Amino acid sequence: MRWGMVVDLSKCVRCYACIAACRIEHFLPEGMNWPRLMALETEGDPPSVATYSLRCNQCQDAPCVEVCPTGATYQRPDGIVAIDQDKCVGCRYCVIACPYQNRTFLSKDKARGFFPESGPTPFEEAGKKLYPHQTGTTEKCNFCAERIDAGLAKGLKPGIDRDATPACVNTCPARALTFGDLDDPDSEVSKLIREYDGFQLHPEYDTNPSVYFIDHKIGQPDKPRKKDTKSRRETAGSAAEK
Amino acid sequence: MEAHEWMINYTRQTEWIDRRGIFLWIAFYAGGLGGGLYLVSLFFNSLAGMFVSWLIIAVIKGGAHIIYLGKPWRFWRIVTRPQSSWLARGIIFVFGFILFGAVQLALSYWAPGAAEMAFKVLAGVAALAVTIYTGFVLNTVKAVPFWNSTLLPLLFVLCGVLGGFGLAVVIALSGGNINLEAAEAGSRWLLIVNALLIAVYLWTAARRAPTGRLSVLEQMRGHLAPYFWGGIVVLGIFIPLIIGLVGEFGAALHSGVLIAGVVCEIIGGLALRYCVLKAGAYKPLVARQPAS
Repeated sequence: MRWGMVVDLSKCVRCYACIAACRIEHFLPEGMNWPRLMALETEGDPPSVATYSLRCNQCQDAPCVEVCPTGATYQRPDGIVAIDQDKCVGCRYCVIACPYQNRTFLSKDKARGFFPESGPTPFEEAGKKLYPHQTGTTEKCNFCAERIDAGLAKGLKPGIDRDATPACVNTCPARALTFGDLDDPDSEVSKLIREYDGFQLHPEYDTNPSVYFIDHKIGQPDKPRKKDTKSRRETAGSAAEK
Repeated sequence: MEAHEWMINYTRQTEWIDRRGIFLWIAFYAGGLGGGLYLVSLFFNSLAGMFVSWLIIAVIKGGAHIIYLGKPWRFWRIVTRPQSSWLARGIIFVFGFILFGAVQLALSYWAPGAAEMAFKVLAGVAALAVTIYTGFVLNTVKAVPFWNSTLLPLLFVLCGVLGGFGLAVVIALSGGNINLEAAEAGSRWLLIVNALLIAVYLWTAARRAPTGRLSVLEQMRGHLAPYFWGGIVVLGIFIPLIIGLVGEFGAALHSGVLIAGVVCEIIGGLALRYCVLKAGAYKPLVARQPAS
């Protein structure tokens, strides 16, 4: 079993709902975002905008796991790269080693609170109990591992049952995010990757990310546009250097 | 719009140089300088030099590392997994040097003999490791092509030993047990080798990948140009070299001039580490692409 995600680039509408859902789910401090949106103008007249919904890729050969001097960053049997906040010393080697820049060091200035003058809000008070964050450590997306674990314990299926599926996937109104088991050839994610020629970011780093991207178009027949997908894969990967 | 601009272009690493990252820069340089000085002091058998190098590593390097950590009181966890990374191994080398160096200094002062020699060897190996490991910490980061060079550890060692020879000159002038002419000569030759190695390092980095070339250009023509040309080239190489050549072929130099040359060398070493850390950049996550 290896949990993975497919992001459909053509469906994302840049509504930031995935980011909001993650913030609520994990009570993220003010200066912290686990998923992020990256938008860039494409060339052309008029230029259009391509959007990438990004988060930790949960790499199978994760550089952050390799370099962590304390073992705080580790890989679970289901492929999720997790962090034990109690072991992290805040050396930030993992932040440096991640080629995707998906890790954030939670410094004190990022956790001042939303309204420092007025004290913590009820939401922040609840967060301290339900999902405490430690300043001085590193954080990142964990595919909502706590939801997956709780859902599996109830016999639910991640990617299908909402209670066992990451919050961003549940929330996405455009259905641009799909979650499931990459090792299961019949899972939705495996089908999408197979049918639409899914690609990973920067495959040249040999990190084997568990987040794939596809770009089939809304309202078009469910046929991959091979020419487009190829050009996007090239530009997203090693062609980034050209 | 900050989220929109993130990682579209080449992105400079910030965690290990900006804000509290400054402490890591100091720690990296102090490790090289302290280790280099210890090796030079071993060569000259100077107890004063060994003591100064021990202070540099134990106090400045160790202190800067601890201050930099997000959770300083958990620092002991780093030494429990030497198999994980060069950072863990490096901190073990630092602790090893502090321990062996302290015993060696005590033995040299109170009970010289065979045991002292054994601890000199142990502390010497640890000092070399402290000098070299920061190069491996950086060159194993595949994501930053500018650092991903086998020359980096060698450059850091040479830079550290060069600084060590510089401090040895100061110790010799202060009455320490060091031959001033030999320390000056060592400093001069290493300066030339170091300058050549810096040039080769930049040349190979520029050829390795477009991101590496960008890092080199950033140093030579971009925001880092004042640090590179002023710090590394003028203060770190040119002025000490002129002083060295005048000392070699001209009149005897005033000790103040020699000390000024050493200060310039140290500023050059600091500037070199600063530029290497500051210029480290990641390639964009996605390249700009034509409209479909």
